[in-house]
Amino acid sequence: MTAAATQNDARKNRIADFAGDVGAGVMGVAEVAGGMGVLLGRIVARLFPPRIDYPELRRNMYKMSVKSLPIVIITALFTGAIMVIQAAPIVKRLGAEGLVGWAAGFTTLREIAPLLTALMISGRVGANNTAELGTMVVTEQLDALRVLAIDPISFLILPRFIGIILTLFMMTLYADALAIFGATLTAKALLHVEPMSFYHGFTSGLLGFGDVANGLCKSVIFGVVMALASCHFGLATKGGAPGVGRAVNATVVASAAGIFVLDYFVSFLLG
Amino acid sequence: MSPFPRRLAFDVGAEALSLTRAGRELYSVFVRTLYYVVYGRREKGAVVRQMYEIGNRSFVFLTITMGFIGMIMVYQSGLQTKRILPEFSLLGATYLELLTRDLAASLGALMLATRVGAGIAAEIGSMVVTEQVDALRMSAADPIDYLIKPRFLASIVMTTALVIWGGFVAFSVGGAVGYFAFDISPRTFASIQLVNHGDLITGLVKCVAYGAAIPVVSGYCGLSTFGGSEGVGWATTRAVVSSSLAIIVLNFFISGAALIVFPK
Repeated sequence: MTAAATQNDARKNRIADFAGDVGAGVMGVAEVAGGMGVLLGRIVARLFPPRIDYPELRRNMYKMSVKSLPIVIITALFTGAIMVIQAAPIVKRLGAEGLVGWAAGFTTLREIAPLLTALMISGRVGANNTAELGTMVVTEQLDALRVLAIDPISFLILPRFIGIILTLFMMTLYADALAIFGATLTAKALLHVEPMSFYHGFTSGLLGFGDVANGLCKSVIFGVVMALASCHFGLATKGGAPGVGRAVNATVVASAAGIFVLDYFVSFLLG
Repeated sequence: MSPFPRRLAFDVGAEALSLTRAGRELYSVFVRTLYYVVYGRREKGAVVRQMYEIGNRSFVFLTITMGFIGMIMVYQSGLQTKRILPEFSLLGATYLELLTRDLAASLGALMLATRVGAGIAAEIGSMVVTEQVDALRMSAADPIDYLIKPRFLASIVMTTALVIWGGFVAFSVGGAVGYFAFDISPRTFASIQLVNHGDLITGLVKCVAYGAAIPVVSGYCGLSTFGGSEGVGWATTRAVVSSSLAIIVLNFFISGAALIVFPK
C-alpha cells in the first residue's frame, strides 16, 4: 500500500471516529432525556390518587429545606450586595440614584434570586439526593424494597421529588427577601441611598407582583428539572463508590445545563 | 438558663468551631499547594492531562450555558430598558462592560464550579475511600503535590481561557438577540466605549481567583472524605456548595475592592 493511501485511510478513520463520537453523544443525551421522561411518567401516575409516604416526605422536607437555610441566607445576602455594587456605576452615570432599587430589584426578583438559589440548592439538595439514592442502589437496598413488595417510586422517589420542588419554591421566596435586604444595606453604605427611597424604587410602579411571580414560576420549573435529574441519575448509578461520584457529577451538570436552557425559554414565554 | 437558648448556644458554638477548623485546614491546603507549585516534583504531562480534563471537557457545557445566559441577559435588560429609556444605544456597551467586569467571570466560574468541582471531589474522594491516597502517603508522596497541584495550575489557566471564550459567546449571542428582538444593529451593540482598563483587570483578577479557589476547595473536600460510597457523595455535594459559595464571597470582595481602586 502506498503512503498516500495509508494517509487517506487514516483520515477516513478519523472522520468515522468523529462521527461515532458525535453519534454516541447524541444517543447519550437521548437516553438521559428518555429516562427522565419515563421517570416523570411513573411519578405522575402515582400522584392520581396520591400514594406518598408522608413520614418520608416530612423527613426529606426537614433535611432539604431547613438544613439549606444557612447557605441560602449567605448566598442571597451577598448576591443582593453584588447586584448593587454592579448597578452602582450605571446608576451613577445616568444620575438616577433613586432608580437603584428598581435596577437591583428587577434583576434580583426575575433572574438572579431564582437562578442562584436553584444552583445552590442543586449543589446541596440535588447532589445529596443523588448520592443517597445512588448509595441505596449500589448497596442493593432498592432491590430489598422490591422484595418486600414496597414500591420504591412511591416510597423513595415521590417524597423526594415533591420535597425538592417545595424546597426550591420556599428558598426562592426567602432569597428574594434577603437579597433585597442585602441590596438595601449596600445601597445605603455605598451610594448613600436611604432605605426608604430604595424601597420607594420598588413600589413606585416600575415593579409589580408580576416580577415576583415570574421568578417563583421559574423556581417551580427549575425544581422539576432538578428533581428529575437527581432522581434519574441516582437510580441509574452503577459501579460502587466511584459510580456514586460519577452519578453526582452527572446530576450537577445536567441540572445546571437544564436550569439555564429552561430559564431562557421560560423568560421568553412569560415575557 | 432555660434549655432552648442553651442548646442554641451549643449549636452555634459547635458550628463556629467546625467552621474555624475547616477554614484553617482549607488555608493549609492552599498554602501547601502554593509551596508545591514552586518546590514540588515536576511530573511530565500531569498538568496537561488535567487541563484537558478541566478545560476541553467543559467546553461544550460552558458554551451552551453561557450562550443561554447571554440570550436571557439581553432579553431581560432590553425589556426593562424599554420601560425607562427611549432607545437602546447604550444597551450593548453597558452589557459588554458588565460582562467584562463581572458576569462572564462569575457566571462562567459558577458553571465550572459545578462541573469541575464535582469532578475533582468525586475523583479524589473515590481515591481516599479505596485507600489510594494512603498508598501515596506510604510512598512518601504528598497527595497535595501529586493530586491537587496539577489541578490547581490547570484550573487557573483553563478557567481564564474558558471565561474569555464564554464571555465572547455570551456577547455574540446577546448581539443576535438584540438584533432580532429589539432591532439593535450589531455595530451599535458591539461598542467598547464603556470598557476601560479597570474593568479588564477586575475581570482577569476574578478569573484567576476563581480558578485557584475551585480546585483548592473541592480538593480539600475530596481529601476529607470518609466512609464508603455515601462519603463520596457527601464530599461531592460539599465541594459543589463550598466552591460556589467561595465564588460568590470572592466576587463580593473583589467587586468591592475594584469599586474603590477603579472608581467610575
